Amino acid sequence: MITVKNLQKSFGKNQVLRGIDAEIQQGEVVVVIGPSGSGKSTFLRCLNRLEDVTGGEILFEGQPITDKKHNIDKTREKMGMVFQQFNLFPHKTVLENITLAPIKLQGVSKAEADKRAEMLLQSVGLADKKKAYPAQLSGGQKQRIAIVRALAMQPHVMLFDEPTSALDPEMVGEVLDVMKKLAEDGMTMVIVTHEMGFAREVGDRIIFMDGGVIVEEGTPDEVFGAPKHARTQDFLGKVL
Amino acid sequence: MFRLKKITLTMLSLLMLLLAIHPGYGMASAESASGADGQKTITVGLSADFAPYEFRITVDGKSKIVGSDVMIAQQIAADMGAQLKIEDIAFDSLIPALQSGRIDMIISGMTPTDERRQNVDFSDLYYTSRQVILTRAEDADKYKTMADLDGETIGVQSGSIQEEIAKGIPNAQVTSVKSISDVVSQLTSGRVNAAVFEGPVAEAQVKNRKGLAIADAVPEDSDTPMAIAVAKGNTALVAEINKTLARLNAEKAVDGYIQQANEMNSGEVAPSNIFQFFWKYRGYYADGVKYTLLLSALGVLFGFLIGLLIALLRLSGVKVLKWLAVAYTEVLRGTPMLVQLLIIHYGIATAFDIKFTVLQSGIITLSINSSAYLAEIFRAGIQGVDKGQMEAARSLGMPRGMAMRTIVIPQAIKSVLPAIGNEFVVIIKESSIVSFIGVADLMFQANAVRTLTYSGLYPLVIAAGIYLIMTLILSKLLNVFERRLSAGDNR
Repeated sequence: MITVKNLQKSFGKNQVLRGIDAEIQQGEVVVVIGPSGSGKSTFLRCLNRLEDVTGGEILFEGQPITDKKHNIDKTREKMGMVFQQFNLFPHKTVLENITLAPIKLQGVSKAEADKRAEMLLQSVGLADKKKAYPAQLSGGQKQRIAIVRALAMQPHVMLFDEPTSALDPEMVGEVLDVMKKLAEDGMTMVIVTHEMGFAREVGDRIIFMDGGVIVEEGTPDEVFGAPKHARTQDFLGKVL
Repeated sequence: MFRLKKITLTMLSLLMLLLAIHPGYGMASAESASGADGQKTITVGLSADFAPYEFRITVDGKSKIVGSDVMIAQQIAADMGAQLKIEDIAFDSLIPALQSGRIDMIISGMTPTDERRQNVDFSDLYYTSRQVILTRAEDADKYKTMADLDGETIGVQSGSIQEEIAKGIPNAQVTSVKSISDVVSQLTSGRVNAAVFEGPVAEAQVKNRKGLAIADAVPEDSDTPMAIAVAKGNTALVAEINKTLARLNAEKAVDGYIQQANEMNSGEVAPSNIFQFFWKYRGYYADGVKYTLLLSALGVLFGFLIGLLIALLRLSGVKVLKWLAVAYTEVLRGTPMLVQLLIIHYGIATAFDIKFTVLQSGIITLSINSSAYLAEIFRAGIQGVDKGQMEAARSLGMPRGMAMRTIVIPQAIKSVLPAIGNEFVVIIKESSIVSFIGVADLMFQANAVRTLTYSGLYPLVIAAGIYLIMTLILSKLLNVFERRLSAGDNR
């Protein structure tokens, strides 16, 4: 579904990604782990071109989205993204947050968009919050709404950029539960996270990044159970 | 939701309306051409605070410009078979108005000095007046000869012949102000001790206002001839005017006009109670408020939209656009609004032959001036919106423009609303500057009432009160709007 070839990214003189090759299959849950500064968030943000790439190529469903002529806006409609800081629109209600993009971009009627949003809210247990404003919600609730907002566009893949890092510990569980359910339903997901337990339980494949390259990848059992590379062992030794 | 599209549409239709408006709309004209189409119109410029030559009186509750110069203008128009249109313009703006082609001639008690002759052509003389020294009644005996005025503080109207006379008095400290009523206020409030006046004008003041007197001192060589000014090189018009003047001279008509005008000038007794005063002249203020509101509303609207555009250009990331936006903001913020107003109204007309009406010039000036300040406010607001908002919107597939419009700008505006409100209040107040070019706004009408009533204080206090009421109402409205927009902040 997504093919990454020799991806490179520099911020000025600082080279953050030094040639990444990766393949993400339909229905696969890929978890990217690694120390901070390893480039994992930048990698994720390159996938929907929130960061413009410096070199290399990304293909999404066969199309080269890194091509300058490619209409990235259309592609982004098929790639949901969830941010560490939720980034809900504070001047809009929960329902408006969710229905805005489907109505404006996909020509869905308001009634249809509302119905879709309410079903999704139901599934994350927040049906009663549809009229609330983001400032009235807890962090965990905000992040669940943010996930619903992305899902309302009916994306083919979901990108998660440290979705639980800004949450109080007691709220991490409710967000991970939603993500787990999503994975079980067969959603293709790329997740950058520090939640190692979750990575091991939900991930089909683990990618360990350090210094702007993929150091090691494999099934959770391979990477967590028997890390081959010294840097992987060192990192896991610190976080587990 | 913030309906920018709707606002843009409203703006466009208003612009159409504005362009469709009759070119003379908003001009302080008392007598405008209303005759059959195709008939010639001549436009005469004058500064209507110079009784008995030109001044305002109230007829059936309406302001009307009358005076001996107006009667002469009527004779000239009649002889030419033309409709007469009169425009009331500050004295020192008359010559620029003539040069830029806004008026055909000046009949405003103007003396043909050599300096003026370099810029305009003059007709034959139609009247010669003497100059006198006006002073407070109790000081009348102090100035028996011109020598007594040595080193004295003297008030005059700026750009006038009296100004030159005053500057010729040894060691005199001359204060030049815009209008005759300002000169009188200077005198009665003790800021100056004497003022140089046209004889008949001074007599009109003494007659209508207590505590003034004409001193015995008489400026030497002070006979000041008056002539009609036309644009340089317009000899055909000069010839027509001279024909009429020759006839009036033969009939010895001008002296009679001045006497008639002096009679018209009496009998305007202003009430001594400020509320009665206001009630009597409410028509003037109502007219003025209309223009002040129209000017401010359009100034705010266009200023808002242009300001937003400039802010977006500045943040566009394209170097040329950014540079242009910075230059626009710096030039407009770094130069006085009065200078901008005069450049737009007179300068552009002279240089490019684009003639905006006074109202258009006023609106353009207010709009671009406030847009520069609003652009900076918007820029701060837009930059203050968390970067994540734009990213979230883009990640959903919104193009940059849509994300800006629906997500970033509404939040930016909400956060800078108090600053915008402040700027709106400033626009209402600053709009008073357009009275300078003759837009009949609140300030202009307050001055008209001052000239009319020979009252220095009440007309201004009332104007101040009305400005205050307008700004207070605006602040209140903005508060309500702010509260509505902050719906998302409630916990």
